[in-house]
Amino acid sequence: MPEHTDIEMRLTVNGRAQHWRVQPGETLLEALHHHNFKGTKLVCGTGDCCACGVMLNGESVNACCMLAAQAEGAEVLTVEGLARGAKLHPIQEAFAQAGAAQCGFCTPGLIMRTYALLQEQPDPTEAEVRAALGGNICRCTGYVKPVEAALRAAKMMQQASE
Amino acid sequence: MLKIRAYHRPKRIEEAVKLLAEPGAGRTVIAGGTDLLVNPRYMMGVQEAVDIRDLGLAGISGPDEPGHRGIIVIGAGATMYQAATVPLLQRVADGIIAESAGLCASPNIRRMATMGGNAASALPSADTPPTLLVLDAQVVLHGPAGRRSIPLGDFFTGPAKSVREPGEILVEFHIPLPEAETRGGFYKLVRTAEDISMVNAAVALTIQKGTISRARVVLGAVAPIPLRARAAEALLEGRPPTEAVFREAAAQAAEEARPITDQRASAEYRRRMSGVCTLRALRQAAGLAPHPEDWRHA
Repeated sequence: MPEHTDIEMRLTVNGRAQHWRVQPGETLLEALHHHNFKGTKLVCGTGDCCACGVMLNGESVNACCMLAAQAEGAEVLTVEGLARGAKLHPIQEAFAQAGAAQCGFCTPGLIMRTYALLQEQPDPTEAEVRAALGGNICRCTGYVKPVEAALRAAKMMQQASE
Repeated sequence: MLKIRAYHRPKRIEEAVKLLAEPGAGRTVIAGGTDLLVNPRYMMGVQEAVDIRDLGLAGISGPDEPGHRGIIVIGAGATMYQAATVPLLQRVADGIIAESAGLCASPNIRRMATMGGNAASALPSADTPPTLLVLDAQVVLHGPAGRRSIPLGDFFTGPAKSVREPGEILVEFHIPLPEAETRGGFYKLVRTAEDISMVNAAVALTIQKGTISRARVVLGAVAPIPLRARAAEALLEGRPPTEAVFREAAAQAAEEARPITDQRASAEYRRRMSGVCTLRALRQAAGLAPHPEDWRHA
């Protein structure tokens, strides 16, 4: 590493204020891991698989291909921020019910992308779900169950809000 | 982890340009970061990053705005997602700029990657430069001596190479509002939805009284830069927008391609597909084939 000065930064992760000291070249994903948010996974590290998806100021992004310093002042939501205590978020519940997680490595990314989709479109068609999850690579499930889980989650969330 | 020693986040463009122009400092621009963080070719000699996202470059505005004089302005900081979803770009020339942005990469990347970055990276396979080129876009660069505007067609010089000087920031694209009769087409050939184009083709046709009065054909991923197929354009102009004419022009575009073989496709395949993509884009522009719709779920 070239000689550098650490950067002090503030942001919010899952509703909690954070005061981080990061290296200039550290990715947001690395910084999350260093600060014990380990739910978000590193798989390809090149932006191609979306396993590291998080919400950043309300938009879903890949935490592996942005600098931590770029998240200064941002609100970050990771997969750990979805459950309320022991109560899973409906999307997590739907993934469990549908058997949509196998090895589980891509699951946090799929769940966060589903979360982003349902924020924008609470009642998606299957085509919309497939387009929304199109960048999330999974080598186990064959995608049938994650798609089913996303559609199931949409129904559960709609019923809960009625 | 990038091997850099400092990260700068200037609030004013003059400050950013000054940082970038300092000789020997080894500074580069970062915006979306989706190329810079994953492609080592952009990190050669780089020691510091200058984030341009606080410079107010993310706007997309219409030709009727005060001072625009019929020009559409796309800020370099606009994300692919913004470009794909803004109604103005979904409308102009059958929405080909929005379509090319909406078909680029994956939903998460489209919310990070910027229009400026897609051109500034200067990769021949990029999706939005061809649609900007067929609509005669100008690119605005801001450097230590101020702004200069050049045709986007003069911007690219080779793979990952452009006329942009180290102290310059790509700040805007200017697109003259096309005539109402201008129709567009875009066809992207890929293995999977989020992969980089094996070949892409953008066309714009102005069709007046049953005759093509102006034609633009640009191919991506088949030459060191986005390739204007000028002989194919010449074949189209002055003729009717028919399948027979389109086939002739598509064959000509395939002749003009200068593809290479890489892990995505062979040169021979790319050449043949240059014709196929051109034909399909031409059919879209003439209303002989539908535009794809999936990208609207951007």
